[in-house]
Amino acid sequence: MLQVESVTAEIIKGKLLATADEMGIVLARTSMSPVIYEVLDFACGVTDAAGQLVAQTNGITLFTGTFGLQVQSMLRKFAGQILPGDVYMTNDPYGGGTHTADIALIKPIFWDGALIAFAIAVAHWSEVGGKVAGSLSPDSTEIYQEGMQFPGIRVCRNDEVVADVLDLVAANVRLPKNSLGDLNAGLAAVRICDARVQEICAKYGADRLLATFDGILEQGEQLARQAIRLVPNGVYVAEDYIDGDGIRDDQIPIRVTVTVKDEAIAVDFTGCALQAPGPINCTYSATLSATKTILKAITEPTAPSNDGWFRPLTVTIPPGTVFSAVKPAPVGWYYEGSAYVSELVWKALAPAASHRLTAGSYVSLCATYLCGRHPRTGELFVHIEPHNGGWGAGPDKDGESGLIATTDGDTYNYPVELVENKFPLRVERYGFNVEDGVGAGRFRGGYGLVRIYEILAEDAFCYASIGRSIERPWGVAGGLPGSTNYLEILSGRRRRRGARLPHTTLKPGDRVRIVTGGGGGFGPPEERDPDRVRQDVEDGLISAEQALALYGVALTPELTVDQDATAAVRRGRTGSPETAIADRGGG
Amino acid sequence: MATRVASDIGGTFTDLVFFDEAANAVEVSKALSTPHDLTEGVVETLRLAGLIDGDIDDFIHGCTIVINAITEGKGVRTALVTTKGFRDVLEIGRGNRPDLYNMRFEKPRPFVPRRLRFEVRERMDHQGRILLPLSRRDLEAVAAACARAEVRAVAICYLHAYANPDHEVRTARFLRRRLPGVAVSMSSDITREWREYERSNTVVLNAYVQPIAEEYLRGLERVVGRQRRTYLHIMQSNGGTTTFSHAKARPIQIIESGPVAGVIGAAAVGQLVGERNVISLDIGGTTAKCSLVEDGQPRVTTEYKLFQTRLFPGYPVKIPVVDIVEIGAGGGSIAWLESTGALRVGPVSAGADPGPACYGRGGTLPTVTDAMLLAGVLNPDYFLGGRLRLDQGQARGAIASLAARMDTSIESAATSIIRLVNANMINALKLISVQRGHDPRDFVLVASGGGGPMHAAALAEELGIKEVLIPNYPGYFSAWGMLMTEPRIDLVRTQLARTTETTVDKVEEVFAEMAREILQQYATELIAPEGVVFARSLDARYHGQDHTVTVAFNGTPATMEQIEALFHAVHKKTYTFDLLDTPVEIVSYRLTGVRRAAKPELPRLPAAPRPAGVKSRRSVDFGEGGVREAAVFERSSLPPDFGGDGPAIVEEVSSTTVVPPGHRFHIDAFGQLHVHLPV
Repeated sequence: MLQVESVTAEIIKGKLLATADEMGIVLARTSMSPVIYEVLDFACGVTDAAGQLVAQTNGITLFTGTFGLQVQSMLRKFAGQILPGDVYMTNDPYGGGTHTADIALIKPIFWDGALIAFAIAVAHWSEVGGKVAGSLSPDSTEIYQEGMQFPGIRVCRNDEVVADVLDLVAANVRLPKNSLGDLNAGLAAVRICDARVQEICAKYGADRLLATFDGILEQGEQLARQAIRLVPNGVYVAEDYIDGDGIRDDQIPIRVTVTVKDEAIAVDFTGCALQAPGPINCTYSATLSATKTILKAITEPTAPSNDGWFRPLTVTIPPGTVFSAVKPAPVGWYYEGSAYVSELVWKALAPAASHRLTAGSYVSLCATYLCGRHPRTGELFVHIEPHNGGWGAGPDKDGESGLIATTDGDTYNYPVELVENKFPLRVERYGFNVEDGVGAGRFRGGYGLVRIYEILAEDAFCYASIGRSIERPWGVAGGLPGSTNYLEILSGRRRRRGARLPHTTLKPGDRVRIVTGGGGGFGPPEERDPDRVRQDVEDGLISAEQALALYGVALTPELTVDQDATAAVRRGRTGSPETAIADRGGG
Repeated sequence: MATRVASDIGGTFTDLVFFDEAANAVEVSKALSTPHDLTEGVVETLRLAGLIDGDIDDFIHGCTIVINAITEGKGVRTALVTTKGFRDVLEIGRGNRPDLYNMRFEKPRPFVPRRLRFEVRERMDHQGRILLPLSRRDLEAVAAACARAEVRAVAICYLHAYANPDHEVRTARFLRRRLPGVAVSMSSDITREWREYERSNTVVLNAYVQPIAEEYLRGLERVVGRQRRTYLHIMQSNGGTTTFSHAKARPIQIIESGPVAGVIGAAAVGQLVGERNVISLDIGGTTAKCSLVEDGQPRVTTEYKLFQTRLFPGYPVKIPVVDIVEIGAGGGSIAWLESTGALRVGPVSAGADPGPACYGRGGTLPTVTDAMLLAGVLNPDYFLGGRLRLDQGQARGAIASLAARMDTSIESAATSIIRLVNANMINALKLISVQRGHDPRDFVLVASGGGGPMHAAALAEELGIKEVLIPNYPGYFSAWGMLMTEPRIDLVRTQLARTTETTVDKVEEVFAEMAREILQQYATELIAPEGVVFARSLDARYHGQDHTVTVAFNGTPATMEQIEALFHAVHKKTYTFDLLDTPVEIVSYRLTGVRRAAKPELPRLPAAPRPAGVKSRRSVDFGEGGVREAAVFERSSLPPDFGGDGPAIVEEVSSTTVVPPGHRFHIDAFGQLHVHLPV
């Protein structure tokens, strides 16, 4: 009898996931911000009455772990006053959120007068006011410069939108039509969730739904604990540097200690730098979310996410660091910081969980902004673009080439033909960054990309926030490090290199060369299958000289592997990997 | 005798349905598919049907040759020629990672490795103006490299070739001359739509399978094309047909050849009974496929991605494809327990060999068919008309081990399997209806395949659908659908312009040029212009947006304002808002030319007083409807207008229809079976 109940539970589970998907579709369809309906920078979910996430949409990893904290902060703030027909709005980075542009709408769901669940929809609005258009200034020094803050307010009462809130938003943002459109889209999403949950209760009973919530969370926890058992007990430490915060170029030291004990994981960020003057900071909730991403990655990445998965996880971090910024620290570009959170935990665990984690990747979204005046229409244009890059190798695979960074997910690159139709820009090249190469290894890293824009417009300028431009993507188990990300401006004979690039003017004919790095290698390069090395030569990824210098593989003039010579070279190789990489420069 | 023959090759069976005009009868035959040489199965069905030397007017074919070659990686060694600076576009793809948390994610591997991707100096701008002339020297080098590498096919994709294909055309001409015997495909010949990766991938897949498809179609011509006057047609993915000779040059167009025909069939049976809105559900051994037909028109998408899943980006193919959602749920789907003890069904299938445990061919894993047998839905002595005796003992054995681990009875385990597989199918049906803004309650469910009629009533009940229609020959439905198809050509042109910068006359010019191209192609098939019906649409967007909505319109709009008004309305319907003050951009022009062919007039069922009594009675577990004694009917003995109440089972050779308690069924004038749900 109980088992039949579990079949009902499976069916309800399927319905909850379908509900989360439907919320996403409704939100994307009704939104007016390109960043929502094209980049799909949003997420939707259902939590139980205590704010524990039970179902969510696919989309972007950044939002994995914020839902619960956001709902719980509403539960605290409105304790005893949560009513049917309410919808709350929050974008408080210090109260469970990420940055001001990510707005959460939260609707309590009631059945028979009792609070049983919450619907939540978070989306990146293209405008919330503040210092610059788009609200995310690369050089803001306080959150007050980053647009309106909604510290958990009632945007609906009795299912009616509070008109005063709309007026306030409209008066404080640059594109009121878009922002109010995004608000409506979020409301449509949480309302459809309410309707679907009501349908489930009517058909199966609220008690069965609530039992299913518990089952989902317990099952997630159980699977997570089983998976953590596969990671050897131990204390794993990783250190790294963030390139700079947008205000200062100084490298920002970060550090993590991960303790795996049987079925639990403790992550301690003690030892990270104090919060930075620039907007690269993460609040505790963003850090927690970025940590959860890696926990999910090492357990059961493809299973639907819920808060049960994260019960075996504890995160410790003293307040006021770059990963636990407190008000009024700027956090607009937190996604550059949170990319490092994920990568740092990843780096610590990579040697212990190589069945799930590869070597270091290019990490940064490498967002560039190319702007100017369109010669045909005289209108201002802004071409905002994240760039794909090289990922690290695994114990049994080469790294992926030209893949989007961890922070994003199901997000697409920008076709050259669309760019040239839309903007006064011409693309000269879009291909693998063969010049800077990848981390060699038994399996090598994936290739970063080179994208070269020729500027065809007057009054053009660009700015960018590119990370991982100093420290190279790390290798694992003797694999070599990859290459860094950067940007070059070629103007006449002048060549200027940068990464966290402030506002820089451009002339027609100038070229902007955006270069992303190759991923780290796995295992010693001398152990790479000579035939794979030969194929890389055939594919024009490395030269025959590099094959010899990096991998100790000798090729005949007909590009077949010279087995004897290769064996001899590999036997006699005494040089350190660093010598090998130095040789490559000459090759 | 004048005959129209449809032949459909599936994974397990090759089906043939033909319409004999003189006798005014539809007949069928079935043979096992023959993977080593697929034409053998076709010949066998022709032989069984007595058509081997018969007079065939129209031969319409659906096959899996293209999709199989791609799935199994058995295409030919192919090269790709690109604009200088862009040879890696094919491998970079779109760079997305739908499997978000998987840090070992693997991108789709390109079908042409880097060493066979060659760059040529040449460049067009987005308006098709030549920025850099085509380099003859580079072409010489490419030809030499292709010859050295012994490629059997070459694909060409240059930037902005959709705007001006001149360089692609000249490159193709050059390479064909230099590389005799090598198949050369160019992107602009398959689609004139922007997005370089999508176009590259499309032309690469076309080239990759071209020699194989050509050889196959030649072989088939030798078999069925012996009479001079037989027209040979093949089902395209767009729901229409084309000639063998066109398919040989553009085989990628037939990638979804078979499944699409079932949807066309569903639209046709809907038409027959005056239902313009139907949902087509086809459940086979391995998968369930569903698709939505609105106002008599199957939904055709240009966002088709081969092998796409929730976790895998797939390979975009920029050809029009009837929008079908396919999930791994069918009769052979295997039930299993997760490590947490949760029951799952599919996507792994026992297939035809060994098949479900009850087939008695060595299968030991519990499947949906085994559960249906234990629930009393299937008659062990009448499966495939009794050709395969189902073994109840084997089915019990397979489900018993599952039931033991679930700590429940065999009967309850069986109904659990059915409930779960139904839940999976309901989610797929919701995906094509609710999630795309349609209310399933406005649709009739047309259920086909061996499994469709078994599951349909339960699915319909859950979705609020009021009527289920089981066509004649549900087990031959794809082939049957092919009988109802017409020749169809779809063209697209990307040509970006704001509505304020172009005129209605210029829009007309583009459509007129496209119409000429369609008529020229039909002229090669001896089809006169009078028989061709055109449908036009525009892809448009607001300035600043990247994605478009498709606006269909009839006739010629008198003014640009009318086009804009249509766009605002469609945008509002699709996205709930419009932006009346924002400039509108036309992105692409789409023109469809359908040759209106005389479709066969379907025979009505004779009202002969045939015995229509209850064949037998048996106990059936109807799930939520409980265990009930059901009357069992033989479908072939039911006259028109015959009706009855559930609980009932209607059996026929190729399928079994479940009529739950409270539902009613009746037979219409054409012999189609309708199940009406309780109001």
